[in-house]
Amino acid sequence: MKVVAYVTLVLAVIPIQIVLLDRISIAGIRPDLALVVVCLIGLYRGEVEAVFTGLALGFAQDLFSGGALWGNLCLKPILGLLAGLASRNLVNLTWAFALVLLLGLSLLSSTVMYLLKSFTGPGANFFLAARGIILPQACYDAALGLAALKFIRLRKPFRAPLTALTYE
Amino acid sequence: MISLQSIAGGKRAVLLFLALLLTALLLLPESRQEPLLALGRHMADAVSVPLRALEWSAQGFDGLWARYVALQHVRDENFTLRQELARLRQENARMRETAVASTRLRDLLELQERLPYPTVSAQVVGRDPSNWYRSIVINKGTQDGLAVDMGVVTPSGIIGRIVKAYDRFAIVLLIIDPNNAVTGLVQRTRDEGIVEGTEKGLARIKYLPLLSTVKVGDQVVTSGLAGGFPRGLPIGTITKIERREAELFLSAEIAPDADFAKIEELLVVTSPRESTQLPPMPFPLQPPAKRDAGDQR
Repeated sequence: MKVVAYVTLVLAVIPIQIVLLDRISIAGIRPDLALVVVCLIGLYRGEVEAVFTGLALGFAQDLFSGGALWGNLCLKPILGLLAGLASRNLVNLTWAFALVLLLGLSLLSSTVMYLLKSFTGPGANFFLAARGIILPQACYDAALGLAALKFIRLRKPFRAPLTALTYE
Repeated sequence: MISLQSIAGGKRAVLLFLALLLTALLLLPESRQEPLLALGRHMADAVSVPLRALEWSAQGFDGLWARYVALQHVRDENFTLRQELARLRQENARMRETAVASTRLRDLLELQERLPYPTVSAQVVGRDPSNWYRSIVINKGTQDGLAVDMGVVTPSGIIGRIVKAYDRFAIVLLIIDPNNAVTGLVQRTRDEGIVEGTEKGLARIKYLPLLSTVKVGDQVVTSGLAGGFPRGLPIGTITKIERREAELFLSAEIAPDADFAKIEELLVVTSPRESTQLPPMPFPLQPPAKRDAGDQR
């Protein structure tokens, strides 16, 4: 049942990212829905599920991307792992923590993508990329993530993953 | 019939006096009626106060009747008309959209007929899932005869080339992406170079000869030497020439003719060299602005 739910999630997230998110882009910048989903899964379900979902979402994202690299395939599981690890010592998920986590992971993801692109393709100005893509996308991702978190909390309150309790 | 005999003697005399007075007044010449008229003016003023009050009340009543009581049915009529208006507005918007779409499709069809190469029409279904690449997803794939490296054009000019092709979808990397490169030709000077995207979302032609007489406003077209594009398709217009010291080549910034934010339908050139019939130089494509201006005329 869980596998079916995750497959459905992957099949829904990527088409939404490709078709719909362009309509809510601000100055050409779209939020990375896959990143937000992976982070939230990491927070709510732990790192293992987040890593597998990240693999699937990153792979699907790269399939429909114009880039020749498999950057998302490598990055998304790592982000899921980091989000999962961050939730290990977390008993109560606060808005500030979620905001910092989403901002941080988005910044990390975009910076690594920039470095990958710069090493393998035509070089680009980092400050231009930071101002034009990395920072606005991080803000957008964080805003989308917090909105999604709010929605999730209405239906299901945060419960620390089992790994967090095993520490105690 | 009033009988004067029934009225008492004193009163009878008064009535007779008044009758005589009135008769005298009637017989008076007009010029002598001034005092009477002056008296009448005051009386008219006095009467006009209640008259106006009554008129105001009557108007108010009429207004009340006309605006509220008699218009009870207008509310329903208004509601119906509003609904009708909303429906007509929706219909109007739908028809405008259909008209715009039909114009776009007509242009695409004309382009398809003009191009002496086999093409496949496709529709844009999405954009790149990340912000790092400028690409679009189209609804045709290998099942429709598409393959990697095929060129993609619109009536405005070339827009990119296919970088990934699946059964039912293909990914088109736009020419404004820095990872894309197309061979280009400055139409006036015949200088060839490589056109690639820039970070600003424009394009740049590189490796132009240092002694080239290229200038701002020159049109750049595809050279047809490599890639999936036939010769002579418009790419854009030169907006800035970059001459750097100690460099062996010139480069120039190009404003692409196509509007990449508004691409909805496009043609994929499936075989740019299948036909021996080359199009005239330059290929007769017009940017949308010029074509619209022509239509308005």
